[in-house]
Amino acid sequence: MRYSLIGSLILHVFIFLLTIVSLPLFNTPELDIPPIIQVELIEIAEKTNVPEISKKQEKEEKPKKVEKKEETKINQPIVKPKDEKSNEKVKDPVEEEKIVKKKIETKMIEKMPVRKPEIKKEDKFDPLKLAELIDKQKDTKIEKEETKDLEYESLDKTPSISKKLTLSEEDAIRAQFMKCWSIPLGMPYDETHIVKIRIYLNKDGSLSQPPEMLQHERMNKPGEEYFRTLAESAIRAVRRCDPLKKVPDINRYDDWKILQLNFDPREILRG
Amino acid sequence: MIKRFFLILNFYFLFISNIWAIIEIDITEGNREPLPIAITEFFYNETEKEILLDISTNMRNVMSADLERSGLFKSINKDAFIQNNQAMHLSPRFEDWRLIKAQGLITGDLSLKGDQLKVEFRLWDTLAEKEIEALVLITTQENWRRVSHMIADKVYERLTGEGGYFDTRIVYVAEEGPKNQRIKKLAIMDQDSFNHRFLTSGKELVLTPRFNPVRQEITYLSYFKNLPRVYLLDIQTGIQEIVGDFPGMTFAPRFSPDGNKIIMSLAREGNSDIYVMDLITRVVERFTDNPAIDTSPSYSPDGRKITFNSDRGGSQQIYVMDNNGRNQKRISKGTGNYATPVWSPRGDLIAFTKNFQGQYFIGVMRVDGTGERLLTENWYQEAPSWSSNGRVIIFYRESKADDQGKGHSSSIWSIDLTGFNERKVSTPGDASDPSWSRLIQ
Repeated sequence: MRYSLIGSLILHVFIFLLTIVSLPLFNTPELDIPPIIQVELIEIAEKTNVPEISKKQEKEEKPKKVEKKEETKINQPIVKPKDEKSNEKVKDPVEEEKIVKKKIETKMIEKMPVRKPEIKKEDKFDPLKLAELIDKQKDTKIEKEETKDLEYESLDKTPSISKKLTLSEEDAIRAQFMKCWSIPLGMPYDETHIVKIRIYLNKDGSLSQPPEMLQHERMNKPGEEYFRTLAESAIRAVRRCDPLKKVPDINRYDDWKILQLNFDPREILRG
Repeated sequence: MIKRFFLILNFYFLFISNIWAIIEIDITEGNREPLPIAITEFFYNETEKEILLDISTNMRNVMSADLERSGLFKSINKDAFIQNNQAMHLSPRFEDWRLIKAQGLITGDLSLKGDQLKVEFRLWDTLAEKEIEALVLITTQENWRRVSHMIADKVYERLTGEGGYFDTRIVYVAEEGPKNQRIKKLAIMDQDSFNHRFLTSGKELVLTPRFNPVRQEITYLSYFKNLPRVYLLDIQTGIQEIVGDFPGMTFAPRFSPDGNKIIMSLAREGNSDIYVMDLITRVVERFTDNPAIDTSPSYSPDGRKITFNSDRGGSQQIYVMDNNGRNQKRISKGTGNYATPVWSPRGDLIAFTKNFQGQYFIGVMRVDGTGERLLTENWYQEAPSWSSNGRVIIFYRESKADDQGKGHSSSIWSIDLTGFNERKVSTPGDASDPSWSRLIQ
């Protein structure tokens, strides 16, 4: 009796445990935790696709302040020892104090571990080369635009030799002239009232010669006073916009050194 | 072989033309701000300062106000000037004027020759760095205001391509008294509201004064013993002439472009039609013969066409016909009632009053009825009249009276074709029915 009771109890306990384990009611689901993705944190400058030139610039830019102070204030008397003015500056005790302070500052900065190995003698800031640096910056930007252009051109299937500005370049020029052009409002509408002006540009966007009015004869004709007014307003716009603040890619200067501007107020005057 | 040669040649030229093609950029929008212009006080000799100081200052103010009122120019504040008129008298330093953003520069000299005032003025393009207009005017000293208007006209003409309208006058009906006992007088003034004077005493009711386009003469309608009469008034001599008694109702007499005819609407046997009276022969000719009401006729500037309004189609609309009454056709196409059509002196537009949904509009449309543009909207406004260059319209506007009939007033307003330059024309009292003269000869 005792054995059978113990056997039954064991059996029941076994069945009870089996029920708990096998039935889903008692089975708490496991949390669906997404797998862990390992991300390696790296410094941006090391792995991004920034072109070679801009990398150099970045390196150059940071020590600029340090080198600038050294070169403009400290190195000047050394480079030009015959310069009386600069010698006088060194003799001035207040100036000397400043220079000492700046020297300390520069030393402090030079001691910084990250910057130090990047400073090279060649990278020293030269104010005379500032323009070149700026140009390089432009080049990098324009390089990106050019790649876009090539994409467009390939879509358009236009030969690469044809002269063409990108839409953004064309819009930039158009926007500048739109700001400069005071439209003579209230004129009667005339289908033929389009003023064509050829402009000759320098690389910096300034006019290399006076604007050329292509309909000069019509402008001076009696009875064409409205056209003359319109033409004069267009010429004024060209002169007001001289020099252009934004110019297209300098590498393609030959393409845009001569532009024809068609001043067309017809939509505005149609009313 | 030859075929191949030409083919290569063809490709060569295509290639070359592609290389040398110049990039074209279309500029289809621009800056709509008024043109900045620097108006200097004219230079004078120190020995004549006593007389010429005020004239110089006043002339600048008049020119400046004229050009600014047009909405096309912005006169730069003289405090911003860098170069003084003493140095400028010799030669303007253009860079100084460009610095203050002046695109035009007006300089001049004043001198006295006995009682006469000699005015020399020059207009400079500061961007092109050249003189673009110069003029010498000799007049009496009292005439400085008119000379200022004439210079402003020259500047306007040179910079906009069309004649100015500053040396002009406005004739209108001056009103005073309560609405049921209104006294109406003819009044005349310069377009800038100066030199104001009354032409009639106010004993008789006067209506619809209109300028002769070629002479300093006005035609208007006046009621004498309750009979409408059409008068001619010579502004220079003050001589008044009765053109004729027209029993029944007479409306809006208006001159033909040559000033030798008067076109008007006469109501005979209860029907209004368009009639033309030859001022030399005094023969009256009927141009429309329709049971509907035909009124407000106006000639085209070449005299070949006449526009008028008629309700023959069920509502008041604008019509155009030849100058012999033939080829009458409706040109207004929009909804609402159209009235008082006036042909622009430029010939390209017809101004009108439109009544739509209880509001009154002054608008313009092309002579074929297309391109309708409503320039201004108000509770009540009508009677458009063009400036001599067809760029600005004057009209009158009434303000609403309250329940007791108080607060009613009427005033003259101007608006240009852009619809943005709306200004009130200053008058000593209430004013209605304005008419703008051509340039004073």
